[in-house]
Amino acid sequence: MGLLTNILLAPFLSPVWGTRWTLEQVDRVVRDELTDDTPVKEDLMALQMQLEMGEIDDDEYVRREAEIMKRLREVREWREKFGMSTSGGPVRIAESGEPE
Amino acid sequence: MTAAESVSASTDPATGDGKYVYCIIRNDRSREFGEIGIGSGARVYTVNHKDLAAVVSDTPIVIYDPTRENVLAHEFVNETVMREFTLIPMSFGTIFRSENDVQSLLNSTYQAFTDVLEKMKDKIEFGLKILWDRDKVVASLERDNDEIRRLKDEITRNAASSTYFARMQLGRLVEAAMEEASNRYVNDVHEQLKDVSVASRSNKVIGDRMILNAAFLVERKDERSFDEKVKAISLQYEDLLTFKYTGPWPPYNFVNIKLKLEKAT
Repeated sequence: MGLLTNILLAPFLSPVWGTRWTLEQVDRVVRDELTDDTPVKEDLMALQMQLEMGEIDDDEYVRREAEIMKRLREVREWREKFGMSTSGGPVRIAESGEPE
Repeated sequence: MTAAESVSASTDPATGDGKYVYCIIRNDRSREFGEIGIGSGARVYTVNHKDLAAVVSDTPIVIYDPTRENVLAHEFVNETVMREFTLIPMSFGTIFRSENDVQSLLNSTYQAFTDVLEKMKDKIEFGLKILWDRDKVVASLERDNDEIRRLKDEITRNAASSTYFARMQLGRLVEAAMEEASNRYVNDVHEQLKDVSVASRSNKVIGDRMILNAAFLVERKDERSFDEKVKAISLQYEDLLTFKYTGPWPPYNFVNIKLKLEKAT
């Protein structure tokens, strides 16, 4: 279907937040791992592919999709804690609103 | 507690509904697209600024998970709009707090949107994924590659005495030949589609059976030629490869405007 690939990897919007703060005491590697949703999105796309290829049925898809959504939410929460950009939720044009 | 819940819980409902933005089009008057929006069929309409319009629907301030249902709703709106307009797709889940904020988006990004809309005019995207059946490709290599065939025969003939080394060597030969075959297939497909497309982009492959995950930008007038070409190629390879051909899509893979957005609290 290609749909998830398109939407999840669309390089279109990347919100830049006004405030940034870091927790120095948290190891950088741990932080990167907690806040990287790429592997979760890849899992979602792989799941989509499996459904398309008839390797799993709809029930299985729904069940595993729910797990993946949970992981995505966890990553999002970590990103919020670290003051990093997240997709979803309300946004507005930043004060210096020139596109890059 | 989920992030979505935490956001909606901390939001005062009295501040009013947000606007879910699907895409940007060029249109100087307001338009309705029907009750097809995300969140059980919200009314889809435009917020206008000069000759640009954002296609939106009203939404509570929540974070939408990219579930199949939500993604399909997002995509269905874009498909509907695409029948009439060239569009710049917004990424999934983009919500603004008010019509005013949407207008600021159009106003501050006016030039970039206009330029990209001009560039994407009458162009559509197609997705092409190619998967192979490992066993079939190995079988065809054993048939066509002399060295592999010879080594395999030798191992089969001397099953008892054939060394671990010979098997390792065969494995390595097959692996290299498969990579070479994969490149050959992919290059051939790109080559054959070059004349009927404007641009192409290769994305990361998904899973271990996929050898190509590409998007092609195609002129609307060439849609049929592109279509026929893809069908011809898939026939040419039907014994070895599976083609997953999708579209037309909005030009997701060919639009790259980075918007400076901040969280609206």
